[in-house]
Amino acid sequence: MITEKHEARGACAGENMNTSIISIRHLCKEFLNVTPLKDVSVEIKKGEVISIIGPSGTGKSTLLRCINLLETPTKGEIVVDGVVTTDKKCKVNLVRQKMGMVFQSFNLFAHKTIIENIMMGQVDLLKRNRQEAYDKGMELLRNIGLADKAFSYPDELSGGQKQRAAIARTVAMEPEIILFDEPTSALDPTMVGEVLSVIRGLAGQGMTMMIVTHEMKFARDVSTRIFYMDQGEIYEDGTPEQIFEHPKRERTRIFIRQLKVLHVEKISRDFDFPAFMTRLEEFGRKQQFSQRQIYAMQLVVEEVLMQKLLPAAGEAEERDLSLDVEYSERENLAQMRFSYNGPSFYPFGEEEDLSGRMIKGMSKAMEHKFVDGMNHFIISI
Amino acid sequence: MKITKTQNGNSLYLALEGRLDTNTAPELEASIKGSIDGVEELTINMESLDYLSSAGLRVLLGAQKIMNKQGSMRVTHVNDTIMEIFEVTGFADILTIEKA
Ligand SMILES: Nc1ncnc2c1ncn2[C@@H]1O[C@H](COP(=O)(O)OP(=O)(O)OP(=O)(O)O)[C@@H](O)[C@H]1O
Ligand SMILES: [Mg+2]
Repeated sequence: MITEKHEARGACAGENMNTSIISIRHLCKEFLNVTPLKDVSVEIKKGEVISIIGPSGTGKSTLLRCINLLETPTKGEIVVDGVVTTDKKCKVNLVRQKMGMVFQSFNLFAHKTIIENIMMGQVDLLKRNRQEAYDKGMELLRNIGLADKAFSYPDELSGGQKQRAAIARTVAMEPEIILFDEPTSALDPTMVGEVLSVIRGLAGQGMTMMIVTHEMKFARDVSTRIFYMDQGEIYEDGTPEQIFEHPKRERTRIFIRQLKVLHVEKISRDFDFPAFMTRLEEFGRKQQFSQRQIYAMQLVVEEVLMQKLLPAAGEAEERDLSLDVEYSERENLAQMRFSYNGPSFYPFGEEEDLSGRMIKGMSKAMEHKFVDGMNHFIISI
Repeated sequence: MKITKTQNGNSLYLALEGRLDTNTAPELEASIKGSIDGVEELTINMESLDYLSSAGLRVLLGAQKIMNKQGSMRVTHVNDTIMEIFEVTGFADILTIEKA
Protein backbone atom coordinates (compact mmCIF):
# COMPACT_ATOMS: atom_id res chain seq x y z
CA MET A 1 0.00 0.00 0.00
CA ILE A 2 1.34 3.34 -1.00
CA THR A 3 -0.95 6.00 0.29
CA GLU A 4 -3.59 6.22 2.93
CA LYS A 5 -6.10 6.85 0.23
CA HIS A 6 -5.48 3.42 -1.24
CA GLU A 7 -5.69 1.77 2.14
CA ALA A 8 -9.10 3.30 2.63
CA ARG A 9 -10.22 2.05 -0.75
CA GLY A 10 -8.96 -1.47 -0.03
CA ALA A 11 -10.74 -1.63 3.31
CA CYS A 12 -13.96 -0.43 1.81
CA ALA A 13 -13.83 -3.07 -0.93
CA GLY A 14 -13.16 -5.72 1.67
CA GLU A 15 -16.43 -4.89 3.42
CA ASN A 16 -18.50 -5.03 0.30
CA MET A 17 -17.37 -7.88 -1.91
CA ASN A 18 -19.63 -6.85 -4.77
CA THR A 19 -17.54 -3.88 -5.70
CA SER A 20 -14.44 -5.94 -6.45
CA ILE A 21 -14.34 -8.39 -9.32
CA ILE A 22 -10.83 -9.51 -8.38
CA SER A 23 -9.40 -9.40 -4.87
CA ILE A 24 -5.80 -10.35 -4.34
CA ARG A 25 -4.59 -10.76 -0.76
CA HIS A 26 -0.98 -11.27 0.21
CA LEU A 27 -0.18 -13.08 -2.99
CA CYS A 28 3.31 -14.58 -3.08
CA LYS A 29 4.86 -16.57 -5.90
CA GLU A 30 8.24 -18.18 -5.45
CA PHE A 31 10.18 -19.99 -8.11
CA LEU A 32 13.31 -21.99 -7.38
CA ASN A 33 15.69 -19.07 -7.75
CA VAL A 34 13.49 -15.98 -7.71
CA THR A 35 10.44 -14.62 -5.95
CA PRO A 36 8.81 -12.33 -8.49
CA LEU A 37 5.78 -11.65 -6.27
CA LYS A 38 6.57 -11.12 -2.60
CA ASP A 39 3.36 -9.71 -1.19
CA VAL A 40 0.72 -8.37 -3.53
CA SER A 41 -2.64 -7.17 -2.25
CA VAL A 42 -5.02 -5.29 -4.48
CA GLU A 43 -8.69 -4.84 -5.31
CA ILE A 44 -9.89 -4.60 -8.90
CA LYS A 45 -13.35 -3.31 -9.68
CA LYS A 46 -15.66 -4.12 -12.53
CA GLY A 47 -15.02 -1.92 -15.56
CA GLU A 48 -11.51 -0.93 -14.57
CA VAL A 49 -8.93 -0.92 -17.34
CA ILE A 50 -5.57 -1.48 -15.71
CA SER A 51 -2.27 -1.29 -17.52
CA ILE A 52 0.62 -3.04 -15.85
CA ILE A 53 4.00 -1.54 -16.57
CA GLY A 54 7.50 -2.03 -15.21
CA PRO A 55 10.97 -3.31 -15.99
CA SER A 56 11.57 -6.82 -17.32
CA GLY A 57 11.43 -9.65 -14.82
CA THR A 58 9.34 -7.84 -12.22
CA GLY A 59 6.52 -10.39 -12.23
CA LYS A 60 4.02 -8.74 -14.55
CA SER A 61 3.36 -11.96 -16.47
CA THR A 62 3.52 -14.00 -13.29
CA LEU A 63 0.78 -11.86 -11.74
CA LEU A 64 -1.55 -12.43 -14.71
CA ARG A 65 -0.68 -16.13 -14.78
CA CYS A 66 -1.52 -16.48 -11.08
CA ILE A 67 -4.85 -14.73 -11.60
CA ASN A 68 -5.62 -17.04 -14.51
CA LEU A 69 -4.41 -20.14 -12.62
CA LEU A 70 -1.68 -20.84 -15.13
CA GLU A 71 0.62 -20.68 -12.09
CA THR A 72 -0.17 -21.86 -8.60
CA PRO A 73 0.51 -19.14 -6.04
CA THR A 74 2.89 -20.07 -3.25
CA LYS A 75 0.88 -18.15 -0.66
CA GLY A 76 -2.08 -15.81 -0.50
CA GLU A 77 -5.61 -15.67 -1.76
CA ILE A 78 -7.23 -14.64 -5.03
CA VAL A 79 -10.97 -14.16 -5.29
CA VAL A 80 -12.50 -13.77 -8.74
CA ASP A 81 -16.13 -12.72 -8.91
CA GLY A 82 -16.80 -14.26 -5.51
CA VAL A 83 -14.94 -17.54 -6.19
CA VAL A 84 -11.82 -18.23 -4.15
CA THR A 85 -9.62 -19.50 -6.96
CA THR A 86 -6.69 -20.29 -4.71
CA ASP A 87 -8.88 -22.86 -2.96
CA LYS A 88 -7.80 -26.38 -3.99
CA LYS A 89 -11.41 -27.38 -4.63
CA CYS A 90 -11.99 -24.50 -7.01
CA LYS A 91 -13.05 -25.55 -10.51
CA VAL A 92 -10.42 -24.24 -12.87
CA ASN A 93 -12.70 -24.28 -15.90
CA LEU A 94 -15.30 -22.17 -14.18
CA VAL A 95 -12.70 -19.53 -13.41
CA ARG A 96 -11.26 -19.63 -16.92
CA GLN A 97 -14.72 -19.00 -18.33
CA LYS A 98 -14.96 -15.76 -16.43
CA MET A 99 -11.56 -14.75 -17.64
CA GLY A 100 -10.05 -14.60 -21.11
CA MET A 101 -6.36 -14.28 -21.74
CA VAL A 102 -4.61 -12.90 -24.82
CA PHE A 103 -0.91 -13.67 -25.27
CA GLN A 104 1.90 -12.13 -27.22
CA SER A 105 1.99 -15.15 -29.51
CA PHE A 106 -1.68 -15.28 -30.68
CA ASN A 107 -2.09 -19.02 -29.91
CA LEU A 108 -4.50 -19.74 -32.74
CA PHE A 109 -4.81 -23.32 -33.97
CA ALA A 110 -2.90 -23.41 -37.25
CA HIS A 111 -4.91 -26.26 -38.81
CA LYS A 112 -8.26 -24.57 -38.23
CA THR A 113 -9.80 -21.61 -40.04
CA ILE A 114 -10.30 -18.34 -38.20
CA ILE A 115 -14.02 -18.85 -37.72
CA GLU A 116 -13.44 -22.43 -36.46
CA ASN A 117 -10.92 -21.09 -34.01
CA ILE A 118 -13.54 -18.67 -32.72
CA MET A 119 -16.31 -21.29 -32.64
CA MET A 120 -14.41 -24.03 -30.80
CA GLY A 121 -14.55 -22.73 -27.24
CA GLN A 122 -18.12 -21.58 -27.63
CA VAL A 123 -19.25 -25.06 -28.72
CA ASP A 124 -17.05 -27.08 -26.34
CA LEU A 125 -17.27 -24.98 -23.20
CA LEU A 126 -20.35 -22.79 -23.51
CA LYS A 127 -22.31 -25.59 -25.22
CA ARG A 128 -23.60 -23.25 -27.92
CA ASN A 129 -24.77 -24.96 -31.10
CA ARG A 130 -22.62 -24.48 -34.17
CA GLN A 131 -24.99 -21.99 -35.77
CA GLU A 132 -25.03 -19.76 -32.70
CA ALA A 133 -21.28 -19.98 -32.38
CA TYR A 134 -20.87 -19.17 -36.06
CA ASP A 135 -23.20 -16.17 -35.91
CA LYS A 136 -21.50 -14.81 -32.83
CA GLY A 137 -18.06 -15.30 -34.42
CA MET A 138 -19.06 -13.62 -37.67
CA GLU A 139 -20.55 -10.68 -35.81
CA LEU A 140 -17.32 -10.16 -33.89
CA LEU A 141 -15.20 -10.52 -37.00
CA ARG A 142 -17.36 -7.97 -38.82
CA ASN A 143 -16.93 -5.52 -35.95
CA ILE A 144 -13.17 -5.60 -36.32
CA GLY A 145 -13.13 -5.69 -40.12
CA LEU A 146 -12.04 -9.30 -40.47
CA ALA A 147 -15.20 -10.94 -41.83
CA ASP A 148 -13.50 -11.64 -45.14
CA LYS A 149 -10.82 -13.67 -43.35
CA ALA A 150 -13.28 -16.00 -41.59
CA PHE A 151 -12.39 -18.94 -43.82
CA SER A 152 -8.67 -18.26 -44.00
CA TYR A 153 -6.11 -20.15 -41.95
CA PRO A 154 -4.00 -18.24 -39.39
CA ASP A 155 -0.91 -18.50 -41.62
CA GLU A 156 -2.70 -16.50 -44.30
CA LEU A 157 -3.16 -13.52 -41.96
CA SER A 158 -0.77 -10.77 -40.94
CA GLY A 159 0.38 -10.63 -37.32
CA GLY A 160 -2.01 -7.80 -36.57
CA GLN A 161 -4.93 -9.68 -38.11
CA LYS A 162 -4.04 -12.83 -36.16
CA GLN A 163 -3.98 -10.93 -32.90
CA ARG A 164 -7.31 -9.24 -33.66
CA ALA A 165 -8.78 -12.68 -34.42
CA ALA A 166 -7.34 -14.02 -31.14
CA ILE A 167 -9.04 -11.18 -29.28
CA ALA A 168 -12.32 -11.91 -31.06
CA ARG A 169 -12.01 -15.55 -29.98
CA THR A 170 -11.59 -14.45 -26.38
CA VAL A 171 -14.49 -12.00 -26.56
CA ALA A 172 -16.76 -14.69 -28.06
CA MET A 173 -16.55 -16.52 -24.72
CA GLU A 174 -18.19 -13.50 -23.08
CA PRO A 175 -15.71 -13.27 -20.24
CA GLU A 176 -16.09 -10.91 -17.31
CA ILE A 177 -12.43 -9.98 -17.47
CA ILE A 178 -9.76 -10.10 -20.16
CA LEU A 179 -6.08 -10.35 -19.30
CA PHE A 180 -3.58 -9.29 -21.96
CA ASP A 181 0.11 -10.12 -21.76
CA GLU A 182 1.99 -7.83 -24.14
CA PRO A 183 -0.52 -8.24 -26.95
CA THR A 184 1.47 -6.12 -29.39
CA SER A 185 5.05 -7.03 -28.56
CA ALA A 186 5.42 -9.64 -31.30
CA LEU A 187 4.02 -7.37 -33.99
CA ASP A 188 5.62 -5.32 -36.71
CA PRO A 189 5.31 -1.66 -35.60
CA THR A 190 2.94 -0.90 -38.48
CA MET A 191 0.41 -3.37 -37.03
CA VAL A 192 0.43 -2.27 -33.42
CA GLY A 193 -2.22 0.40 -33.99
CA GLU A 194 -4.92 -1.89 -35.37
CA VAL A 195 -4.64 -4.22 -32.37
CA LEU A 196 -4.61 -1.40 -29.83
CA SER A 197 -7.70 0.07 -31.44
CA VAL A 198 -9.59 -3.21 -30.90
CA ILE A 199 -8.58 -3.17 -27.22
CA ARG A 200 -9.55 0.48 -27.00
CA GLY A 201 -12.95 -0.47 -28.38
CA LEU A 202 -13.41 -3.08 -25.63
CA ALA A 203 -12.50 -0.48 -23.01
CA GLY A 204 -15.21 1.72 -24.49
CA GLN A 205 -17.72 -1.09 -24.00
CA GLY A 206 -16.85 -1.28 -20.31
CA MET A 207 -14.89 -4.55 -20.38
CA THR A 208 -12.76 -5.12 -17.29
CA MET A 209 -9.18 -5.57 -18.46
CA MET A 210 -5.66 -5.97 -17.17
CA ILE A 211 -3.06 -5.26 -19.82
CA VAL A 212 0.69 -5.80 -19.51
CA THR A 213 2.11 -3.44 -22.09
CA HIS A 214 5.12 -1.43 -23.19
CA GLU A 215 2.94 0.93 -25.22
CA MET A 216 2.98 3.80 -22.77
CA LYS A 217 0.94 6.27 -24.77
CA PHE A 218 -1.78 3.66 -25.10
CA ALA A 219 -1.59 2.78 -21.39
CA ARG A 220 -2.00 6.39 -20.56
CA ASP A 221 -4.92 7.09 -22.87
CA VAL A 222 -6.97 3.95 -22.35
CA SER A 223 -6.42 2.93 -18.73
CA THR A 224 -8.33 4.04 -15.70
CA ARG A 225 -5.47 2.84 -13.51
CA ILE A 226 -1.80 1.93 -13.79
CA PHE A 227 0.18 -0.63 -11.78
CA TYR A 228 3.91 -0.01 -11.79
CA MET A 229 5.50 -3.31 -10.77
CA ASP A 230 8.93 -3.57 -9.20
CA GLN A 231 10.61 -5.12 -6.14
CA GLY A 232 8.17 -8.01 -5.95
CA GLU A 233 5.13 -5.85 -5.47
CA ILE A 234 2.77 -3.40 -7.09
CA TYR A 235 5.27 -0.70 -6.28
CA GLU A 236 3.00 2.16 -7.24
CA ASP A 237 -0.70 2.17 -8.10
CA GLY A 238 -2.47 5.24 -9.42
CA THR A 239 -4.25 6.99 -12.23
CA PRO A 240 -2.34 7.44 -15.50
CA GLU A 241 -1.88 11.10 -14.58
CA GLN A 242 -0.39 10.22 -11.18
CA ILE A 243 1.97 7.57 -12.48
CA PHE A 244 3.12 9.27 -15.67
CA GLU A 245 3.19 12.86 -14.48
CA HIS A 246 3.69 12.77 -10.72
CA PRO A 247 5.17 9.41 -9.74
CA LYS A 248 5.74 9.41 -5.99
CA ARG A 249 8.34 6.71 -5.47
CA GLU A 250 11.96 6.65 -6.52
CA ARG A 251 11.95 3.63 -8.84
CA THR A 252 8.77 4.71 -10.59
CA ARG A 253 10.34 8.11 -11.21
CA ILE A 254 13.44 6.58 -12.75
CA PHE A 255 11.40 4.26 -14.95
CA ILE A 256 9.06 6.99 -16.18
CA ARG A 257 11.97 9.33 -16.85
CA GLN A 258 13.74 6.74 -18.96
CA LEU A 259 10.66 6.44 -21.15
CA LYS A 260 10.95 10.06 -22.07
CA VAL A 261 14.67 10.11 -22.77
CA LEU A 262 16.72 8.53 -25.49
CA HIS A 263 20.38 8.36 -24.55
CA VAL A 264 23.30 7.24 -26.73
CA GLU A 265 26.88 7.49 -25.63
CA LYS A 266 30.32 6.88 -27.08
CA ILE A 267 29.25 7.86 -30.55
CA SER A 268 32.15 7.25 -32.92
CA ARG A 269 32.82 7.01 -36.62
CA ASP A 270 31.59 3.43 -36.83
CA PHE A 271 28.26 4.52 -35.33
CA ASP A 272 25.40 2.73 -37.12
CA PHE A 273 23.68 5.70 -38.68
CA PRO A 274 20.74 3.98 -40.48
CA ALA A 275 19.92 1.94 -37.36
CA PHE A 276 19.93 5.07 -35.24
CA MET A 277 17.57 6.82 -37.66
CA THR A 278 15.13 3.94 -37.14
CA ARG A 279 15.53 4.17 -33.36
CA LEU A 280 14.80 7.88 -33.44
CA GLU A 281 11.71 7.28 -35.49
CA GLU A 282 10.45 4.64 -33.05
CA PHE A 283 11.15 6.90 -30.08
CA GLY A 284 9.35 9.75 -31.82
CA ARG A 285 6.36 7.61 -32.60
CA LYS A 286 6.11 6.36 -29.02
CA GLN A 287 6.05 9.98 -27.86
CA GLN A 288 3.45 10.79 -30.52
CA PHE A 289 5.66 13.30 -32.29
CA SER A 290 4.35 14.68 -35.53
CA GLN A 291 5.92 13.43 -38.74
CA ARG A 292 7.57 16.80 -39.09
CA GLN A 293 9.11 16.62 -35.62
CA ILE A 294 10.49 13.17 -36.38
CA TYR A 295 11.89 14.46 -39.66
CA ALA A 296 13.49 17.43 -37.91
CA MET A 297 15.04 15.21 -35.23
CA GLN A 298 16.56 12.96 -37.85
CA LEU A 299 17.83 15.94 -39.77
CA VAL A 300 19.46 17.40 -36.67
CA VAL A 301 21.22 14.11 -35.96
CA GLU A 302 22.38 13.73 -39.52
CA GLU A 303 23.58 17.30 -40.02
CA VAL A 304 25.20 17.72 -36.62
CA LEU A 305 26.74 14.28 -36.28
CA MET A 306 27.47 13.14 -39.81
CA GLN A 307 28.33 16.50 -41.32
CA LYS A 308 29.95 18.27 -38.38
CA LEU A 309 30.90 16.49 -35.18
CA LEU A 310 32.08 13.15 -36.51
CA PRO A 311 34.24 14.54 -39.33
CA ALA A 312 35.74 17.04 -36.84
CA ALA A 313 36.33 14.25 -34.33
CA GLY A 314 38.66 12.61 -36.83
CA GLU A 315 41.36 15.08 -35.89
CA ALA A 316 40.90 14.96 -32.14
CA GLU A 317 42.15 11.77 -30.54
CA GLU A 318 39.79 10.87 -27.73
CA ARG A 319 36.41 12.29 -28.41
CA ASP A 320 33.72 11.57 -25.91
CA LEU A 321 30.49 12.22 -27.74
CA SER A 322 26.97 11.52 -26.54
CA LEU A 323 23.41 12.48 -27.38
CA ASP A 324 20.27 12.81 -25.28
CA VAL A 325 16.86 13.32 -26.75
CA GLU A 326 14.20 14.33 -24.31
CA TYR A 327 10.57 15.17 -24.77
CA SER A 328 8.74 17.76 -22.76
CA GLU A 329 5.03 17.28 -23.08
CA ARG A 330 4.12 20.57 -21.49
CA GLU A 331 5.91 22.57 -24.14
CA ASN A 332 5.53 19.92 -26.85
CA LEU A 333 9.26 20.26 -27.44
CA ALA A 334 11.87 17.68 -28.25
CA GLN A 335 15.22 18.71 -26.89
CA MET A 336 18.36 17.24 -28.42
CA ARG A 337 21.57 17.66 -26.47
CA PHE A 338 24.93 16.77 -27.99
CA SER A 339 27.72 16.61 -25.41
CA TYR A 340 31.37 16.34 -26.45
CA ASN A 341 34.69 17.11 -24.86
CA GLY A 342 36.83 20.16 -25.70
CA PRO A 343 38.11 22.34 -27.17
CA SER A 344 35.15 24.67 -27.48
CA PHE A 345 33.56 23.94 -30.83
CA TYR A 346 30.36 25.40 -32.24
CA PRO A 347 29.36 23.05 -35.07
CA PHE A 348 27.94 25.67 -37.39
CA GLY A 349 30.88 28.08 -37.28
CA GLU A 350 30.71 31.70 -38.32
CA GLU A 351 29.55 31.41 -41.91
CA GLU A 352 26.15 29.85 -42.44
CA ASP A 353 26.44 26.69 -44.45
CA LEU A 354 23.73 24.42 -45.75
CA SER A 355 23.55 22.25 -42.61
CA GLY A 356 23.37 25.30 -40.39
CA ARG A 357 20.60 26.89 -42.39
CA MET A 358 18.60 23.67 -42.40
CA ILE A 359 18.84 23.16 -38.67
CA LYS A 360 18.10 26.79 -37.91
CA GLY A 361 15.10 26.67 -40.20
CA MET A 362 13.70 23.45 -38.77
CA SER A 363 14.27 24.10 -35.05
CA LYS A 364 12.80 26.44 -32.44
CA ALA A 365 16.00 27.24 -30.55
CA MET A 366 19.72 26.51 -30.58
CA GLU A 367 22.26 26.97 -27.81
CA HIS A 368 25.96 26.20 -27.38
CA LYS A 369 27.68 26.12 -24.00
CA PHE A 370 31.21 25.23 -23.06
CA VAL A 371 31.59 24.21 -19.43
CA ASP A 372 34.53 22.45 -17.75
CA GLY A 373 35.99 21.14 -20.96
CA MET A 374 32.64 19.86 -22.25
CA ASN A 375 30.62 21.29 -25.12
CA HIS A 376 26.84 21.17 -24.89
CA PHE A 377 25.02 21.87 -28.08
CA ILE A 378 21.27 21.96 -27.51
CA ILE A 379 18.62 22.12 -30.19
CA SER A 380 14.88 22.35 -29.49
CA ILE A 381 12.36 21.13 -31.98
CA MET B 1 16.77 4.60 -51.58
CA LYS B 2 15.42 3.36 -54.88
CA ILE B 3 16.09 5.27 -58.09
CA THR B 4 14.00 4.51 -61.15
CA LYS B 5 15.57 5.90 -64.28
CA THR B 6 13.80 6.46 -67.61
CA GLN B 7 15.72 7.89 -70.54
CA ASN B 8 13.84 9.10 -73.58
CA GLY B 9 15.90 10.78 -76.30
CA ASN B 10 17.42 13.80 -74.65
CA SER B 11 15.18 13.78 -71.60
CA LEU B 12 16.04 11.97 -68.40
CA TYR B 13 13.48 11.15 -65.74
CA LEU B 14 14.45 10.00 -62.24
CA ALA B 15 11.94 8.86 -59.64
CA LEU B 16 13.32 8.77 -56.10
CA GLU B 17 11.92 6.54 -53.41
CA GLY B 18 12.88 6.45 -49.72
CA ARG B 19 15.61 8.47 -48.10
CA LEU B 20 18.13 10.76 -49.76
CA ASP B 21 20.74 11.19 -47.01
CA THR B 22 24.47 10.97 -46.27
CA ASN B 23 24.41 7.25 -47.01
CA THR B 24 22.42 7.26 -50.22
CA ALA B 25 23.36 10.60 -51.83
CA PRO B 26 26.46 9.09 -53.53
CA GLU B 27 24.17 6.63 -55.35
CA LEU B 28 22.10 9.43 -56.83
CA GLU B 29 25.20 11.38 -57.71
CA ALA B 30 26.66 8.40 -59.58
CA SER B 31 23.36 7.74 -61.29
CA ILE B 32 23.10 11.32 -62.55
CA LYS B 33 26.74 11.50 -63.62
CA GLY B 34 26.38 8.28 -65.58
CA SER B 35 23.44 9.44 -67.69
CA ILE B 36 23.54 13.20 -67.93
CA ASP B 37 25.65 13.57 -71.09
CA GLY B 38 23.53 15.12 -73.82
CA VAL B 39 20.46 15.42 -71.58
CA GLU B 40 18.49 18.62 -72.17
CA GLU B 41 15.57 17.99 -69.87
CA LEU B 42 16.08 16.48 -66.43
CA THR B 43 13.06 15.68 -64.25
CA ILE B 44 13.41 14.44 -60.67
CA ASN B 45 10.19 13.08 -59.23
CA MET B 46 10.07 13.22 -55.41
CA GLU B 47 6.62 11.76 -54.92
CA SER B 48 7.92 8.82 -52.89
CA LEU B 49 10.84 10.58 -51.27
CA ASP B 50 10.44 10.60 -47.48
CA TYR B 51 13.56 12.38 -46.38
CA LEU B 52 16.14 14.77 -47.76
CA SER B 53 19.23 16.12 -45.99
CA SER B 54 22.06 18.47 -46.95
CA ALA B 55 23.98 15.62 -48.57
CA GLY B 56 21.06 15.21 -50.98
CA LEU B 57 20.75 18.95 -51.54
CA ARG B 58 24.39 19.08 -52.63
CA VAL B 59 23.75 16.45 -55.29
CA LEU B 60 20.69 18.36 -56.53
CA LEU B 61 22.76 21.53 -56.67
CA GLY B 62 25.46 19.76 -58.69
CA ALA B 63 22.85 18.52 -61.16
CA GLN B 64 21.33 21.97 -61.43
CA LYS B 65 24.74 23.45 -62.28
CA ILE B 66 25.25 20.95 -65.10
CA MET B 67 21.72 21.49 -66.43
CA ASN B 68 22.16 25.27 -66.37
CA LYS B 69 24.71 24.73 -69.16
CA GLN B 70 22.91 22.13 -71.24
CA GLY B 71 19.16 22.49 -70.74
CA SER B 72 16.68 22.59 -67.85
CA MET B 73 15.88 20.71 -64.68
CA ARG B 74 12.63 20.30 -62.77
CA VAL B 75 11.92 18.80 -59.38
CA THR B 76 8.35 17.53 -59.20
CA HIS B 77 5.79 16.18 -56.69
CA VAL B 78 7.51 17.82 -53.73
CA ASN B 79 5.66 17.24 -50.44
CA ASP B 80 5.26 19.83 -47.67
CA THR B 81 8.10 18.69 -45.44
CA ILE B 82 10.62 18.58 -48.26
CA MET B 83 9.30 21.90 -49.53
CA GLU B 84 10.09 23.35 -46.12
CA ILE B 85 13.67 22.14 -46.50
CA PHE B 86 13.90 23.81 -49.92
CA GLU B 87 12.55 27.02 -48.43
CA VAL B 88 14.75 27.29 -45.34
CA THR B 89 17.87 26.59 -47.38
CA GLY B 90 17.04 29.00 -50.19
CA PHE B 91 16.86 26.13 -52.67
CA ALA B 92 13.32 27.15 -53.51
CA ASP B 93 14.89 30.08 -55.39
CA ILE B 94 17.50 28.01 -57.18
CA LEU B 95 15.50 25.00 -58.35
CA THR B 96 12.40 24.82 -60.50
CA ILE B 97 9.98 23.10 -58.16
CA GLU B 98 6.50 21.70 -58.70
CA LYS B 99 4.66 20.86 -55.50
CA ALA B 100 2.73 17.64 -55.00
N1 LIG C 1 8.19 -20.98 -14.68
C1 LIG C 1 9.20 -20.28 -14.15
N2 LIG C 1 10.20 -20.91 -13.49
C2 LIG C 1 11.20 -20.21 -12.92
N3 LIG C 1 11.32 -18.88 -12.96
C3 LIG C 1 10.35 -18.19 -13.60
C4 LIG C 1 9.26 -18.85 -14.23
N4 LIG C 1 8.46 -17.92 -14.79
C5 LIG C 1 9.05 -16.72 -14.55
N5 LIG C 1 10.17 -16.89 -13.81
C6 LIG C 1 11.04 -15.82 -13.32
O1 LIG C 1 10.27 -14.92 -12.55
C7 LIG C 1 10.65 -13.58 -12.75
C8 LIG C 1 9.47 -12.77 -13.21
O2 LIG C 1 9.09 -13.20 -14.51
P1 LIG C 1 7.90 -12.55 -15.34
O3 LIG C 1 7.82 -13.30 -16.60
O4 LIG C 1 6.67 -12.52 -14.50
O5 LIG C 1 8.43 -11.09 -15.54
P2 LIG C 1 7.80 -9.91 -16.43
O6 LIG C 1 7.62 -8.74 -15.54
O7 LIG C 1 6.59 -10.42 -17.15
O8 LIG C 1 8.98 -9.60 -17.42
P3 LIG C 1 8.95 -9.20 -19.00
O9 LIG C 1 8.68 -7.71 -19.05
O10 LIG C 1 10.34 -9.50 -19.45
O11 LIG C 1 7.91 -10.03 -19.66
C9 LIG C 1 11.78 -13.63 -13.77
O12 LIG C 1 13.00 -13.57 -13.07
C10 LIG C 1 11.60 -14.96 -14.43
O13 LIG C 1 12.85 -15.45 -14.89
MG1 LIG D 1 6.18 -10.81 -19.17
